Amino acid sequence: MNGQAMNGGIRKLRLFLAKLLAFLRRDFREALTYKFSFLYSLVGVFFSTATFFFVAKLVPSGTPSLGPFGGDYFSFAVVGVAFSSLLGIFQEGLPAVIRSAQTSGTLEALLVTQTSVPTVLLGSSLYSLAFQSFRTVLHLVLAMAVFGLKLGQVNWPGVLSVFLMTSVCFLSLGILSASFILVYKMGNPLSWFIGSMSGLLGGMVFPVAILPAWIRWVSYLLPVTYSLNGMRRSLLASAGFSAILPDIAALAAFNAVLLPLGLLAFRAAIRKAKKDGTLTHY
Amino acid sequence: MNETPAILVENLVKRYPVIGGFRELLRHPLKRPTRTALDGVSLRVEPGLSFCLLGPNGAGKTTLIKVLTTLVLPDGGRVFVNGHDAEKSPAAVRKVIGFAINDERSFYWRLSGRQNLEFFGALNGLRGSQLAEKIAAVLRITGLESAADLRFNAYSTGMRQMLAFARALLTDAEILFVDEPTRSLDPQAAAKIRKFLRDELVGVRRKTVFWATHDLAEAGEFGHEIAVIDRGRIRVRGQVNALTSGGRIPLKAIYEKALADSWASDRPGDVAA
Repeated sequence: MNGQAMNGGIRKLRLFLAKLLAFLRRDFREALTYKFSFLYSLVGVFFSTATFFFVAKLVPSGTPSLGPFGGDYFSFAVVGVAFSSLLGIFQEGLPAVIRSAQTSGTLEALLVTQTSVPTVLLGSSLYSLAFQSFRTVLHLVLAMAVFGLKLGQVNWPGVLSVFLMTSVCFLSLGILSASFILVYKMGNPLSWFIGSMSGLLGGMVFPVAILPAWIRWVSYLLPVTYSLNGMRRSLLASAGFSAILPDIAALAAFNAVLLPLGLLAFRAAIRKAKKDGTLTHY
Repeated sequence: MNETPAILVENLVKRYPVIGGFRELLRHPLKRPTRTALDGVSLRVEPGLSFCLLGPNGAGKTTLIKVLTTLVLPDGGRVFVNGHDAEKSPAAVRKVIGFAINDERSFYWRLSGRQNLEFFGALNGLRGSQLAEKIAAVLRITGLESAADLRFNAYSTGMRQMLAFARALLTDAEILFVDEPTRSLDPQAAAKIRKFLRDELVGVRRKTVFWATHDLAEAGEFGHEIAVIDRGRIRVRGQVNALTSGGRIPLKAIYEKALADSWASDRPGDVAA
């Protein structure tokens, strides 16, 4: 009986992975038909990195606020920009998938298949997540190979832990945003608010420490602050696991609230859209 | 007759919210006017039958199909597909149905016909050689073999319609829903599809086909049973042979009388607060 249950579980897992692979293949095939855009998005990494390389020459090495992150502005900015883009895709990927399926007209065809809504969402955003992850790695490799970015003694368990906790957090925000798009179709205040606040106050291109004290507290309400802090300290400042534990704990607290909230909101949004008959409206 | 019906609908009600202007919202912020799309529909379709839902535009055909295929939730009544409650067990319903969606936008235009079928087949649990065989079979049935590797955006309207059929046939579903499927097809292609569904799918494989149309000739040729729907209510239903007294009464006369009775009925306006 246990063997049967295990075989059933393995079969389900293989089916699930096959479905995810089908989404990846679909999006890769579509991306290849837009050859110029595909190449441009990769070449864009070079220009972004080069821009920060020259901006960094204006910032003297050893600036006190950069101290906890290794002291070099170029490294600080490259890690911030590369990971913020990735987090943006985590957060924006799902609502973009919903919006695109609504406007292109494929949502109905997807939802009538033998694939659950969460799998459709995960599968549909997988390619953009994979592609953006590749761009993030490319960003770092290019910065090291061409522009001399120096990593510290990298705390890989720390990098992995921060990355996993951050992924859950930003996917939860993405699920909340997707719920909004399902019901209201356009204008996503959550994405706008988190996106704008994170860019300004989350420490993407400058340290949170230089913000005036009266607004700095807002930074500590944003998950991106903890993600970038943990990631930079693990990658650039040779920080040990215990040093980044407060960042991981903060992200865990965000996850404990945002993940159940996102799942509940999404379930309610699907039900409302099906009730109103607007699942495929845009 | 004791067999589980392929489709069982009991007193189904569906109302859609009507989107009003800002003035209406300010005057009655808590009231949501609704439009009744289905008004107490009851139906029973036995397995292994071709069933035609006949009605003019806006009668409620598409809404009924969307409720049966779990894309829209009902406001009242109960709906069972192959014994599964469509509201409580939508995943179980989707395992036994195919839906030929009548919207060319439901495909990926920059992928080929075959690539589209590979993708939707995978989402329906088909893999490897089984998927390849199924795709080959449905391409043969729909006559799209030579166009399979062309991009979907190069297809003619009729070919796109045929690909929608091919997609719906991939899973060998127990119940196939088709919503005005032949409106973009030339008469020969439409006849070919009707013949395949009636003779092969229903006749040989004993599947159920639920076909919504406003084409009387098509309904007469295709359906074992028909129901006429208008303004959200079933007006007439029964076996084609019995309704037409073995062909002595034209189906057109029955349809027109049903619609005339519908308009003469006591149903008030369509929009309720």
